[in-house]
Amino acid sequence: MEMKSETTSIPGNWRLDQFRWKTEQVKLMGKFLAGLKEKQVLGLKCPGCGLVYVPPKPFCRCLERPEKWVEVSDEGVVTTFTFSGTWAFRGFEEADESETRIIVGIKLDGADTLGLSLLQGSDPADVDVGMRIKIRWPDAPEGALKDILFVEPA
Amino acid sequence: MQDVAVIGVGLSKHVSKRRDVNIAELVYEAVSAAYDDAGVSPRDMDAVITGNMPAFEGVNMPELWGAGHWGAYGKPLLRITTGGTTGGSVVHGAFYAVASGMFDTVIAISFEKQSDGDTTMGLNSVGIADFAAILHFGTDPEFLVSAGGGAIGIVAYQATSYMKSSGCTTHHYDKVAAMCRSNAARNPYAHLKQPDITPEDVAKTDMMEYPLRFGHCCPATDGACAMIITSADKAKKMTGRPAYIKSCASCSDEAAIIGIFGGGPAHLDPCSQEGCKKAAEKAYKLAGIKEPRKEIDVAEPYAPFANQLLMFYERLFLCDEGEAPAVLDSGSMEIDGELPVCPSGGVISTNAIGASAMERIAECALQIMGKAGEHQVNKDVHNAVAHGWGGALNLNVVAVLGDTPRR
Repeated sequence: MEMKSETTSIPGNWRLDQFRWKTEQVKLMGKFLAGLKEKQVLGLKCPGCGLVYVPPKPFCRCLERPEKWVEVSDEGVVTTFTFSGTWAFRGFEEADESETRIIVGIKLDGADTLGLSLLQGSDPADVDVGMRIKIRWPDAPEGALKDILFVEPA
Repeated sequence: MQDVAVIGVGLSKHVSKRRDVNIAELVYEAVSAAYDDAGVSPRDMDAVITGNMPAFEGVNMPELWGAGHWGAYGKPLLRITTGGTTGGSVVHGAFYAVASGMFDTVIAISFEKQSDGDTTMGLNSVGIADFAAILHFGTDPEFLVSAGGGAIGIVAYQATSYMKSSGCTTHHYDKVAAMCRSNAARNPYAHLKQPDITPEDVAKTDMMEYPLRFGHCCPATDGACAMIITSADKAKKMTGRPAYIKSCASCSDEAAIIGIFGGGPAHLDPCSQEGCKKAAEKAYKLAGIKEPRKEIDVAEPYAPFANQLLMFYERLFLCDEGEAPAVLDSGSMEIDGELPVCPSGGVISTNAIGASAMERIAECALQIMGKAGEHQVNKDVHNAVAHGWGGALNLNVVAVLGDTPRR
């Protein structure tokens, strides 16, 4: 019997954006994303323990249900970081070794949650935990998570 | 509640790719070794508790495939799957089954045959609740890819923030990797055995994701582990020196849907691992351990990546926060040190994922029973702590084992 190679690739795609959900999370995110369109970052505050969730969540870790909308700052602090090569964006063939993407964990002032963003306008050697940053808003936000994708030193 | 003891441990050979056995046969190696070690047969088992991460092999309900090989016909059979913690959760399940008095003697089985599937694909299926949501709400798919893939894409963020909070450098991560790999060289069931590796060798390996290099990361392993767990009363009759499971405790800090990267359960520092502290506190309390750093003789924290050994050593209260790098430098963690850490070589040397958290408990049992062979530590082991980290991101399991029952 002829042995085949161990790995077989099957081309295809999985359109994750094709799902049209109407869940509680979608309703909360609708308000959050509408805020981004106005360059406002909204959080949902828990009445029990006071934690502010950005983006909003229907459940708090203290088991209460966050329900009060609050606006948080578009400035904050770097909590952790790593680097990514451009291969992740363009594939190995097109990768530019000289270009490094700085991925930062950020906590916005007034929020109690951690999110990931791309740090621009900073040298990789200068990034550190505790560094102050602010969101680099696009000229015309679309009301999508990518509106808050980029941050810069504050 | 009856006291619970381990009377037999079995491990398969652990390597990257087992092409000579299928899943059921690989697991049988560990299962038959455990039966032999305890001097029992499948007929003596009242129940079978098993677990792996089916998503990693792409084989669902593997326990049905293995039932015949493992001696499960005609017996209660339960599968437990909790990510990296699976093996630990399986032992917790066995502990609950025996402690409750429902069953006297059970076999706990865990395994992973990663070469049969695609583990990163399996991990993506674990994160799908978040990935799908994040893409749906309009993030850049390329950013999602660049922000981190697989387990290292989570752990790199722990490693960076741990360096800041503890003041340690990547040199400490190099030292951890070298220590574990040279311990693994003494363990016939370990995967990556590097007896003469130095921290400098580790520092020269390729960067995987800052600050973690290739040498700081675990291999992907095919392997299995099995343990015979019974009541303390029966154990005393069956073996001269059982290892008692004094306590099991776990804590879930999980949250999916916009929960990826820690945002969900509102933990700001990825290395804080509050869940590990909660589980450890409870496990020590149940076990009657008041001063873990004095009473624990061996520790097996779950550390597939070098930074996690230091982080979890602290979260298991074996030193003050931020002190683990200094403890490492003192030589205390070495196999002949004051409080040996991962004498088995740890997860960084051998990672058959579903089995890994059980192998931490198995190593503690072997050390207590004095059966660890060449990697037996050079001291009497009265109490040992085993840990597992997994779930999707933040489930921690802790077990305390001892040479005497709980009371």
